[in-house]
Amino acid sequence: MAPTKRARSSDEDPANRGTHPNRGVNEDVLFEILKRADARTLGAAACVSREWRRVARDERVWEAACARRWTEASVGCGEERLRSVVLALGGFRRLHALLAKSFRERKTSSFCGAKWGRDEVNLSLCLLSIKCYERIKVGGL
Amino acid sequence: MKRENQYLYPHPDPSAAGSSSSTGGKTKVCWEDDSLPEAGMDELLAVLGYKVKSSDMAEVAQKLEQLEEVMGSVREDGLSHLASETVHYNPSDISNWIENMLSEFVPPSFDSNLQPLPPTSIDSFIPQVGPVDFPVMLDQPKLSPIFGGGDSSSSLPDYDLKAIPGNRIIYPQNQQQQQLEELSSSANKRLKPTAPPTEAPLTTSTRPVVLVDSQEAGVRLVHTLMACADAIQQSNLKVAETLINQIGMLAASQAGAMRKVATYFAEALARRIFNCYPQESINPSFTDLLLMHFYETCPYLKFAHFTANQAILEAFSNKKKVHVIDFSMNQGMQWPALMQALALRPGGPPAFRLTGIGPPSPDNKDRLREVGLRLAQLAETIHVDFEFRGFVANSLADLDASMLELKPSETESVAVNSVFELHRLLARPGAVEKVLTVIKEIKPEIVTVVEQEANHNGPVFLDRFTESLHYYSTMFDSLEGSTNSQDKVMSEVYLGRQICDVVACEGLDRVERHETLEQWRARFGSAGFESVHIGSNAFKQARMLLDLFSGGDGYRVEENNGCLMLGWHTRPLIATSAWRIGSSQ
Repeated sequence: MAPTKRARSSDEDPANRGTHPNRGVNEDVLFEILKRADARTLGAAACVSREWRRVARDERVWEAACARRWTEASVGCGEERLRSVVLALGGFRRLHALLAKSFRERKTSSFCGAKWGRDEVNLSLCLLSIKCYERIKVGGL
Repeated sequence: MKRENQYLYPHPDPSAAGSSSSTGGKTKVCWEDDSLPEAGMDELLAVLGYKVKSSDMAEVAQKLEQLEEVMGSVREDGLSHLASETVHYNPSDISNWIENMLSEFVPPSFDSNLQPLPPTSIDSFIPQVGPVDFPVMLDQPKLSPIFGGGDSSSSLPDYDLKAIPGNRIIYPQNQQQQQLEELSSSANKRLKPTAPPTEAPLTTSTRPVVLVDSQEAGVRLVHTLMACADAIQQSNLKVAETLINQIGMLAASQAGAMRKVATYFAEALARRIFNCYPQESINPSFTDLLLMHFYETCPYLKFAHFTANQAILEAFSNKKKVHVIDFSMNQGMQWPALMQALALRPGGPPAFRLTGIGPPSPDNKDRLREVGLRLAQLAETIHVDFEFRGFVANSLADLDASMLELKPSETESVAVNSVFELHRLLARPGAVEKVLTVIKEIKPEIVTVVEQEANHNGPVFLDRFTESLHYYSTMFDSLEGSTNSQDKVMSEVYLGRQICDVVACEGLDRVERHETLEQWRARFGSAGFESVHIGSNAFKQARMLLDLFSGGDGYRVEENNGCLMLGWHTRPLIATSAWRIGSSQ
């Protein structure tokens, strides 16, 4: 009985458009949860289902994941400008991947929880911009 | 002893010291040897007038060593009987001749002095004639190990091109090395003035090289390369040709970086000997492709760009309008990173103008314009005010400050950037000075220069050859660590072209005229520039960059009086420096 009840309620409630009858987690709730998740969790979450993947690949989620890993001093400019530039250059998910891949095996940092400093962030931004440039062909992005 | 002397050690004319072909000629005339090698005779020795069966080479070598030791250890008068009483028959047949010589010495009294010969294990067995006393090598300054500490498998611990006497190679080092060295060096001293020149890197053409320990073959390979270059220096093209074949075979016995370097150098030498340098066949799209792979595989270009950008960024701090003049536009890979950094700097991005200078392209494709469009697209997405202008010029020396449409310096700050371009100007006298003058007219805030750290522009060919052999060996070593094999191959081709240019070309064709940081410092200093120290930010970023590359352990960043150098292990390979107009100007 319980599943049918939920299904009915989801049919009736337009705000719950992201809910699969049998999954039981609202997309907005999922979003709030994943905003607090670390990269590993995000990766796992993206494998669950199409809906989960969509949420897990949202740039805001990855922006939050990045922001947890770097300090205020690591980024020289304001949040908004950073956001617009990074999104233009390929997004936070890519940036995070660059940072994680590049600085995963550094001898100094022993855990994934180690913070990224200004140099790491700068370097990764450079690499991100280069990758974006390489994708540009004359006549269209 | 005179007559015997001539046959014992073919003594060249004093005026042609080291020239083996003239020696060969002399001996040939005396002996009426046919210049065609007989069946089974070693080719190289035949050229020089000796007849040795290839199958006998090992024995002959051993016996010669014995003979040398014995002669070295006799007392003062011990040799005199050789001069007066001994009759020598047919010394060109070395094998028998040595037998005779050895029998002249009273065996028992010399037993104690004779070093025990090594066991006849294949490994320690090098068919090599005589001590490797290479007259030219002795004049060379000490050269750093060519197997620069890269792969431990191919590195020779005490390798020093100058100091290798014959014994050291032939006998494994754990066997009474001291005594052997002493003996051979004393023997060498006595025999040096009449020692056979340039026979050093001989190998048997018929004996399979597989039998030889590859470390030894590596040493012989280097010696052969040097011998060939020396022969070219002396204009002995015949000998050089023969040696080229040997190089080919020796190179095939090597593995990894050494083989590739040797192959490229051999090709360049061959081009020089036969005067066939490919002139116009260079396809610019292919060059671009090679450059991109080189860019991805190893950190040199990225290091150059990132350190130069850091210097430019610091010079442009707080400026509202900036203008960069790039002498080395290529694909424009340096500028996305700078644009991003400008976009994210605390005060907001300035207006960014870029003037790119490039060579004319033979296929009429407007490369500069394409690059400009791509950069403009990027700039637009990150909201940086961007303007691009491209200039096509055959040479930087054709530029004039007036062409660049400079704004007055109060409104716009200028930076000049040159990555691996300035050395090309050295082919034409006066060109560099003109360009430096033009730069001064531009009145830049900063001039960033990245150049190879090597002297490949000396007047003597052999010196250039030696320098470049070491330089490119180190570079190829550093490439070995990369995982993507296609990238690696392309990078090697890219470097191979430079090798070809340094070795095979002359005059205006030779554009890869690298010079060291010290030389550039002197040039900039005397032109009225003063050095700007590159800050620690750049240093840290560079260090971090290197960690990203596989084989990152081998790369080293060094600071040298305000300039940054990137090297592989102990050898610096490229140097970034920054300049501004001296305050006295």
